[in-house]
Amino acid sequence: MPEVADIEQLPVSQARAGEPAAWDALFRRYQLPLYVYVFELVRNEQAGLDIVQETFIAAVKHIGSLREDAKFGSWLFGIAHQKCIQRWRKRREVLFDQIPESPDEFEDGPDDLLIQRESEAEFMNLLNQLPLPQRSVLLLHFIEDFSLEEIARITEAQLGTVKSRLHYAKKTLRKLLEAKNENTA
Amino acid sequence: MKTPRDILFARHQTAAPELDAVRRSVVIELNNKGAKAQSGSENFASSCLCCLDQIWLELVWPCRRIWTGLAAIWILIFIVNFSQRDSSQVHLAKSSSPAAMTMTLRDQQKLLNELLADRSFAADAERPRIYLPKPRTETLELLTV
Repeated sequence: MPEVADIEQLPVSQARAGEPAAWDALFRRYQLPLYVYVFELVRNEQAGLDIVQETFIAAVKHIGSLREDAKFGSWLFGIAHQKCIQRWRKRREVLFDQIPESPDEFEDGPDDLLIQRESEAEFMNLLNQLPLPQRSVLLLHFIEDFSLEEIARITEAQLGTVKSRLHYAKKTLRKLLEAKNENTA
Repeated sequence: MKTPRDILFARHQTAAPELDAVRRSVVIELNNKGAKAQSGSENFASSCLCCLDQIWLELVWPCRRIWTGLAAIWILIFIVNFSQRDSSQVHLAKSSSPAAMTMTLRDQQKLLNELLADRSFAADAERPRIYLPKPRTETLELLTV
């Protein structure tokens, strides 16, 4: 299973120079997280693979637009997010909803939500029930532990919006899981 | 107990071979582009070689006997030319002692002077006479004398 981003060791500068081995290392590092994120948004295996491929190609093409090497991960997820939005637009799906902003004391980490083995399928089911913007933010938080600023940059949303989306997504998920656990008990 | 991340990754681990294939295809394409760009300078040399090869195959090789014959004739001409030049140079070198040279030069100069003198005389003789009309009396005098 891939480790959470060890950005210092990623050969981004070599990739900028066009070294295929560096790109291979970067893609190897991000291929599964990226696929997980894309798949959980588009819910289609082939579309997920296509978007990952398009993201890789776009990354190679537009590496010059990456300002800081340390932000390669969030930049790559930003490309993938844009590809997902393009796909949603083609399908004319409703992307954005209005959620009231959450209080500023949001400090939960990605691992604060621990799930029992028997609840794994239920967790996935509940995750898929969340509205797309909340799901997107929650996935970015879970998969790569991106900061709120990075998630805001990836999803091109306001920081407050991201905070509220993450807050409500987690709250909803926790509530649903607790309700499920109470029912099973 | 598992984290959401563990669950998500475990769930999609089966897509790893397809993702590897996607990654490889992109990297291979990148490799090809890099190779093309890198060999830009080498391209000129290789195209020149290719052109020469094509010329050899299309122009020279089908008529190789003719080209060989022509080459042999040219070589023969050069050999004959050089051998003749060498022999005349040797002959000159042999006959060119300083005393003999001065003698021959004197003889040649004398001959030239004689020829020139004869030429001037001959030139006078051959010069066309210009007819100058004279009074009739003068011509009659000449007749009576």
